[in-house]
Amino acid sequence: MILKPGCYALTALAALALAGCGTKQAAAPSAATAAAAAAQVTDDEKVLNVYNWSDYISPDVVPAFEKEYGLKVHYDVFDSNEVLQTKLLAGQTGYDIVVPSANFMALQIKAGVFQKLDKSRLPNLKNVDPDIAQRFDPLDPGMQYAVNYFWGTSGVGYNVEKIKAAMPDAPVDSFRMFYDPEVVRHFKSCGVTILDAPDEVINTVFVYLGLPANSEKPEDLAAAEKALMAIRPYIRYVNSSKYIEDLANGEICLALGWSGDVGQSATRAREAKNGNTIKYNIPKEGAVLFFDMLAIPADATHPKNAHLFINYLLRPDVSARNSSAVHYASSNAAAYPLIDPVVYNDRGIFPAPETKAHLVANLPRSQAYTRLLNRMWTRFKSGR
Amino acid sequence: MIGGRKFFVPTMLAFGFAFLYVPILSMIFFSFNNSKLVTVMDWPNSPTLKWYGKLFQNDQIMGAAGLSIKIATMNACFSVILGTLAGLVLARFGRFRGRTLLAAMTTAPLVMPEVITGLAMLLLFVAMEQLIGWPAGRGVTTITIAHVTFSMAYVTVIIQSRLANFDDSLEEAAMDLGARPAKVFWRITLPLIMPAIISGWLLAFTLSWDDVVISQFVAGPSSTTLPMVIFSKVRLGVSPDVNALATLMVLIVATGVVLSAIVMQRQEKRRAREMQLAASD
Repeated sequence: MILKPGCYALTALAALALAGCGTKQAAAPSAATAAAAAAQVTDDEKVLNVYNWSDYISPDVVPAFEKEYGLKVHYDVFDSNEVLQTKLLAGQTGYDIVVPSANFMALQIKAGVFQKLDKSRLPNLKNVDPDIAQRFDPLDPGMQYAVNYFWGTSGVGYNVEKIKAAMPDAPVDSFRMFYDPEVVRHFKSCGVTILDAPDEVINTVFVYLGLPANSEKPEDLAAAEKALMAIRPYIRYVNSSKYIEDLANGEICLALGWSGDVGQSATRAREAKNGNTIKYNIPKEGAVLFFDMLAIPADATHPKNAHLFINYLLRPDVSARNSSAVHYASSNAAAYPLIDPVVYNDRGIFPAPETKAHLVANLPRSQAYTRLLNRMWTRFKSGR
Repeated sequence: MIGGRKFFVPTMLAFGFAFLYVPILSMIFFSFNNSKLVTVMDWPNSPTLKWYGKLFQNDQIMGAAGLSIKIATMNACFSVILGTLAGLVLARFGRFRGRTLLAAMTTAPLVMPEVITGLAMLLLFVAMEQLIGWPAGRGVTTITIAHVTFSMAYVTVIIQSRLANFDDSLEEAAMDLGARPAKVFWRITLPLIMPAIISGWLLAFTLSWDDVVISQFVAGPSSTTLPMVIFSKVRLGVSPDVNALATLMVLIVATGVVLSAIVMQRQEKRRAREMQLAASD
C-alpha cells in the first residue's frame, strides 16, 4: 500500500484515510494493514530533515543513526532563533525536527506551529532528569510538544591570567564582576562584553539585585536599567557570538556568556596554546537557565522518522557523546555516567547541587513588557 | 608640481592596491596557519596544508560549495536571458503602454532591502505551494528563482545602458540589406552587446554566489549554500578550512583571468595579422 505523504495522521482511521487520500489507493486497505502502517517505525519515505544550531551535535551521531535505521538525514544549520521563527511562522518549512530555544518555543507553541509528541514512540523519555524537566515545565507543560536537547546557563566567562593581573582579588564567582561598577571598572582596558539577549540579561541583573526573576514590574525594570547604565562605560560591545573567538584570542578578558560557548572558547585557547586560560563560573547569586528543545513542526512530512531520531538522541550513549562533544549539559539522567568526565565534572556545565537550586528559567514575557524591555535595551546598547 | 605628482600617483596606487589586496593576501597567508584560531599565528608549526586536507574531508562545506556553484550558474544563465530581453525591450521598443511600470519593476530589486525581498519571496512560495502545489517545498528551485529576480535587475541595467550607447545605424544598415529582425538580432545586436552579456553573467553569478539573506529565507531542507554555512559558523568563529576554501577560489578566479587575458591577446594579434594580410592583398 502506498500512502501519499500527508495522510499518515489519518491512517489510524482507515475509513478517513480512504476519504482523505484520494483515489490512488482505491483498493481498500484492510483495517489490519492500516494498523500495521500506523505501528510501523519509520515513514514510507526514508528521509529526515533536521534543522539544528550550527556545531551542535557530535559529528558521528548522524551517520550512525542513518546506518542503524537506513534513513537519509538532511542536516541543515541555522544561527539565530529569529531565522527559525520566521520560517516556522511562514509554515511548510520542510523540516521534520527543529531546535528552538525554549522561550521562543513557548510562543511558537501558542502559534500552533508544532505537533504534539507521540510519547508511545519515545520510550527513552524515561531517561529525562525530572529535576531539569520541572524547570522548563512552565514553557511546555507536561512535555507535550518538545523534548529538551541541551540546557545551559549564562554566567561569567573570563581569562584567568588577565583578570588576575587587572584585579588580584576579583570576585570571579559573582555577578559583581559585571554589575558592580567598582569591580568592572578594573576590566575596562582588557575588554568586557555582554550578551545581546535582553530577556536573559535582564534576568541576570534581577538575580544580582535580588529581584524576582522574570518580573514584569516597571520599577524592577527601571532598577535594572539604572544598574546597566552605570556599567555601560566599561562594556566594550554587546554581542552574542563574537566573544567566543575574542575570549580565546585574549582580545577581551571578561564576557557574560553562555556556558557551552565559553567552554568551546576554552578549548580553542587550549589548542592554540596562546597562553590564555579561559574559565566559566556560574555566579553564586544564581544564574539564568536556557533550554534548547527538539520539536516537530505541525506540517512535518516525516513525523515517524522525527520521533525515531528524537528517541535516538535520548539514548544514554548518544546523549553522552553529544554532550561531551559540544560542552553543553544534557538533561538525560541515564547519560550522566557516560559523559566525558572533563565535561561532566566541570561545575560551569553541570553545576553542583547547591548551585542548581539557585538557577532560574527564562520565561516568555508579555508583548507590552517586551516592547518596554527592547526600548530599554536599545538605550543600553547605544549607551544613551 | 611634477615632482609632487611623481610621488603622489605611485603612493595612491600602492594605497589602492593595498586596500584591495591585503585582506585577500592575509586570508591566503592564514590558510597555511596551523592554529585553530583564524587570527592567531602558530609560527613553529606553520606553514601547513592541514586545513586543505580538512577542507576536502568536510562534506558539509564541499557539498555547500557544489550547491552554490550549481545555483549561481543556473541563476546567471536565466538572469542573462531575462535581463537581455528586458533591457532590449526598454531600450529599443520606444514608448509602449506599461513601459514605465516595467522600468520601475525591473529596477525595484536594486533598491529593495534584501530582507524585504527575502520575506516577500518566502511568503509567495508558501502561498503558491498551498494554492497550486508548486514549488513543492523549498530548496534549490526556490533559491534559484529568488536569485534570478534580483540578479536579472542588474543584468537589465547593464544591457540597457550598453544598448543606449550603441549605434542604431548598424542595425538599420543590416535591415536595409534585407536582414529580418530576428537575423539582425542574432547576427548584429547580440555579438555587439556580447561583452555586456558576459559581464552581466559574471555579475549575476557573483551576486548569487555570495547572497546570504535572501537564500536564508527561501532555503529548505538540504539546500544550504556555501555563504549560509560560513555565516552560521560565525557563532563559533570561522574555522580555518574556510580560509583554505577561499584561497582555492581566489586561485581559480586568478587562473581564469590570466587565461582569458592570454586568449584575448592572441586574438588581438591574429586580428592585427589578418588586417595586415588583407591590406597587403
